[in-house]
Amino acid sequence: MRFDSVETGIYPTLVYPPYASTAKRGPTQEPLRIRAAEPVQANIAVSLSLILPHDTDLTRHGQGEPLGEKIVITGRVLDEDGKPVRNSLLEVWQCNSAGRYWHKRDQHDAPLDPNFYGFGKMLTDDDGGYRFVTIKPGPYPWGNHHKAWRPAHIHFSLFGSVYAQRLVTQMYFPSDPLFDHDPIFQSIPDLAARQRLIARFSLEQTVDDKMLGYEFDIVLRGRDATPMGL
Amino acid sequence: MASNITTSQTIGPFPHEAWRWGVDASNALASNVPTVTISGVIRDGNGTPINDGWIEAWLPDAVAAESAQPIPGFRRVPSNDDGAFCIEVSLPTPAAAGKPVLFATIFARGLVKHQFTAVFLEDDSGLAQSEILAQVPAERRATLIARKLGNAQYHWDIWMQSDKETVFFDYA
Repeated sequence: MRFDSVETGIYPTLVYPPYASTAKRGPTQEPLRIRAAEPVQANIAVSLSLILPHDTDLTRHGQGEPLGEKIVITGRVLDEDGKPVRNSLLEVWQCNSAGRYWHKRDQHDAPLDPNFYGFGKMLTDDDGGYRFVTIKPGPYPWGNHHKAWRPAHIHFSLFGSVYAQRLVTQMYFPSDPLFDHDPIFQSIPDLAARQRLIARFSLEQTVDDKMLGYEFDIVLRGRDATPMGL
Repeated sequence: MASNITTSQTIGPFPHEAWRWGVDASNALASNVPTVTISGVIRDGNGTPINDGWIEAWLPDAVAAESAQPIPGFRRVPSNDDGAFCIEVSLPTPAAAGKPVLFATIFARGLVKHQFTAVFLEDDSGLAQSEILAQVPAERRATLIARKLGNAQYHWDIWMQSDKETVFFDYA
């Protein structure tokens, strides 16, 4: 697989002062483009046995129904040529409907939901597709600046089909009033790249009176090394 | 043509519960070859340990030796309260001279794009012929070399910034 250079502005700015934690953590040197066979040809093999029965339904981890707005999120994982990325591990994690993570370091003054932990994982299907059921996460304050609140988001972690495709990102929801005030979202200079992190509401994916549907497609880096037709 | 890739975002401070299965699946190593441990600290530009970072290690040459593992040749470790991490590495024989003993992927709150790097052992007889190291400016190669501490023990620190900044890769 071939990895073209990523145009300036598509990735967030590694040192972006409005997002305070980047100041001393973002590398200052350009990443060194190198040729190395294995990272673009091979990958980590995850056993199917590690995928557990309720990994794609985050509303079924407790004894009862979690609080909040039940939603279903579906989409396809593709490479830069538009080809499906098949049988590939995808992890998701998020806070609950009140904006609190199931994590000992999250001391946000909001309730934990005993029926919602907020994490799941799955493999893409033969069409590169994925689907999981969850609760819409709430916005939450995070102390980066005065009145700093994160837009509602779900974290995505993808392994792709070769090592160099690894990606961790965040999916947002349409029309969030916090976009203009969130330095994590704003750290992406390219406006189109930002917009691609916003899921699309889908009436088609909406399930009766049970849950609202959203679609979120993901394009991983990498193209087939051999041009079509050769 | 404009790229249509999905951009990156930070993992934030709270992936631990979601990522725990991967930690569990790479702990309690079952390897049928000798191993060494590589330990170190991940630090920011001030030298302050990063206590909520993550390192994933991929050891393609160790996959066969770790076939009993749930994810052979893979480790996922969080940095601890002191920013420290420790990775046990299978070393198949014959050793693949000049190749990294592991490829590493670094994640952290405040790191908006994960970083790829690799680790070599300082007593690897093939370092001078390494195809990857040859592509790294000579003055920065030391950032990728784990120093031998003793029997089967090596030390490798990750620096996100400073004059010691680790070399991070973008694959072509």
